Amino acid sequence: MSSAQIEIQIIASLVAIACAIPGTFLVLRKMAMISDAISHSILPGIVVGFFITQDLNSPLLILLAALTGIITVVLVEYIQKTGLVKEDTAIGLVFPILFSIGVIMIAKNANDVHLDVDAVLLGELAFAPFDRLIVSGIDMGPKSLWIIGSILIITIGLLFAFFKELKISTFDAGLAASLGFSPSVIHYGLMSVSSITTVGAFDAVGAILVVALMIAPAATAYLLTNNLKRMLIYSISFGVFSAISGYWLAHGLDASIAGSITTMLGVLFLAVYLFAPSKGVIAVMYREKQQRTEVSLLTFLLHLKNHTEESERHVNHLNEHINWQKVRSKTVLDLALKNNMIQLDKNIVSLTEKGDHFTSQAIDYIITNEDGKIEHMKDDFFLFRG
Amino acid sequence: MTKIAVQIDDLTVAYNYKPVLWDIDLEIPEGVLMAIVGPNGAGKSTLIKSILGILKPIAGSVSIYNKPYEKQRQLVAYVPQKGSVDWDFPTTALDVVMMGTYGSLGWIKRPGQKQKKAALEALEKVGMLPFKNRQISQLSGGQQQRIFLARALVQNASIYFMDEPFQGVDATTEIAIINILKELRKAGKTVIVVHHDLQTVPEYFDWVTFLNVKKIATGPVKDIFNDDNLTKTYGINYKVSIQE
Ligand SMILES: Nc1ncnc2c1ncn2[C@@H]1O[C@H](COP(=O)(O)OP(=O)(O)O)[C@@H](O)[C@H]1O
Ligand SMILES: [Mg+2]
Repeated sequence: MSSAQIEIQIIASLVAIACAIPGTFLVLRKMAMISDAISHSILPGIVVGFFITQDLNSPLLILLAALTGIITVVLVEYIQKTGLVKEDTAIGLVFPILFSIGVIMIAKNANDVHLDVDAVLLGELAFAPFDRLIVSGIDMGPKSLWIIGSILIITIGLLFAFFKELKISTFDAGLAASLGFSPSVIHYGLMSVSSITTVGAFDAVGAILVVALMIAPAATAYLLTNNLKRMLIYSISFGVFSAISGYWLAHGLDASIAGSITTMLGVLFLAVYLFAPSKGVIAVMYREKQQRTEVSLLTFLLHLKNHTEESERHVNHLNEHINWQKVRSKTVLDLALKNNMIQLDKNIVSLTEKGDHFTSQAIDYIITNEDGKIEHMKDDFFLFRG
Repeated sequence: MTKIAVQIDDLTVAYNYKPVLWDIDLEIPEGVLMAIVGPNGAGKSTLIKSILGILKPIAGSVSIYNKPYEKQRQLVAYVPQKGSVDWDFPTTALDVVMMGTYGSLGWIKRPGQKQKKAALEALEKVGMLPFKNRQISQLSGGQQQRIFLARALVQNASIYFMDEPFQGVDATTEIAIINILKELRKAGKTVIVVHHDLQTVPEYFDWVTFLNVKKIATGPVKDIFNDDNLTKTYGINYKVSIQE
């Protein structure tokens, strides 16, 4: 690996981490759209900032552009407060306008501004190592590394300081407000970090990848864990993994790095969406099938409980009687046997003590809907979970 | 003369400039277990949120023991309506109860062993200790409501505001909750509950406020919980049979 290659991967990974942290909270607050809005509407801020500073990497430009991000959020909320349109409509109104203002500004000043819309959307990660920070003649590494590194350090610092505040205001804004943790202060703090990260990252990776890196890793992590800290760690890991594997994919295919990283994010999400242990599509389908079987089991057990006469309890008779096909009957019979709920004696089925007890409890639960008593049953049977 | 725990003067609250509470005057004496009743959309949740500084009123004032709410946060605990939070949020029962301690910690400071111990005790009190590590979406409606109650208990407040704590709970949980509320009253706390089931008002509460955009009446249940006030509040000719 050349040092440029290593530098690109480090920059991409740092961007991924810096995006995953605010992204996790955006996803939990169901505000994925707002990051899209910010990433586009910062464009006029960047152009104006560039006129003033003449340097795409100037911190002043980053702050000016981030301010445009905040203005977007304020505008969206203002339009929404009028009660005339919903939030997503408000977002859809604001950011295309700001974005097109930016595009027009670039077009009008094409000669003065070394910016083009493609670069804004897709970034120029491959060129990042060539724009270097030189301090009194010493090469300090790529400028974007310093920019995104600084932003990341601030983000991590804020995350550690305000983790509790972020958590409570995201979960229960009402309680947070009543305890004195102003949800709007936290909201605008998060929006500021998102905006600054977006601006800092956009030069390297472009607007589209910034959005993808904020939302996709967090959405993927959300499917895998029930713990906020772990969700953050997973988001970060997925982001970094996609950044590095996306880089090599681009290398192999001779394709756009940003595009390849976005592809990896998509592939990762799809895989988890399908195979996640409890929230994945396949797991959900399996659970539903199990629940159907368990309902059948219960029906079957209840039948046994209500009929003492042997003729009603003959294996063959059950097929006809409960009106199930052979396969279904066999599945149910097997499940009952496996759980020691029935015993078979010369093809006559009868409830065991455990089966009898289980049936009463289950029916009792279904009728009264009283929890507590059936906690131990939840572990074995899907039927009684949520 | 008992002390006044909560005093509300000329309170008007609006969403998007449309007032949903008009000119409310209300005094809640210390030590009552009070129901707020009124039809859907009457502004019951709005009233509580305005008292707790979550919403800014367009007119009027609220004081808690004669001082503005901002100075008295430590005295007040709040149980929001269950539907107001996302139960799929990645967190556990214990963690949610711990949130009740955040107010006493203030900004930045993290909860430690002391807060954890208090949260565990509160979980024990509402019978939810065995579920402390359960993800909150895996809890039944009644269990979620108990978690919310535990979170308020851990605040160790003087005044408790609860928005429909009996919503979607089973009979056992309802009894468990009301027993805890009665215990709080016995300990001299003031408990204010948005309540829907008019039948149980006389049995559960000793004080009641009728609300429908305006305050209709407030006072002891035995004096003012009658068909006249119910009709004024609910519009139609309302009758409840009050069991003695
Ligand atoms: N965030 C909001 N924005 C606009 N209107 C609201 C909002 N919350 C509540 N309202 C309206 O205010 C009125 C009172 O609501 P609320 O206090 O929730 O009533 P209650 O709790 O008594 O059912 C209702 O008409 C409701 O539609
Ligand atoms: Mg309400």
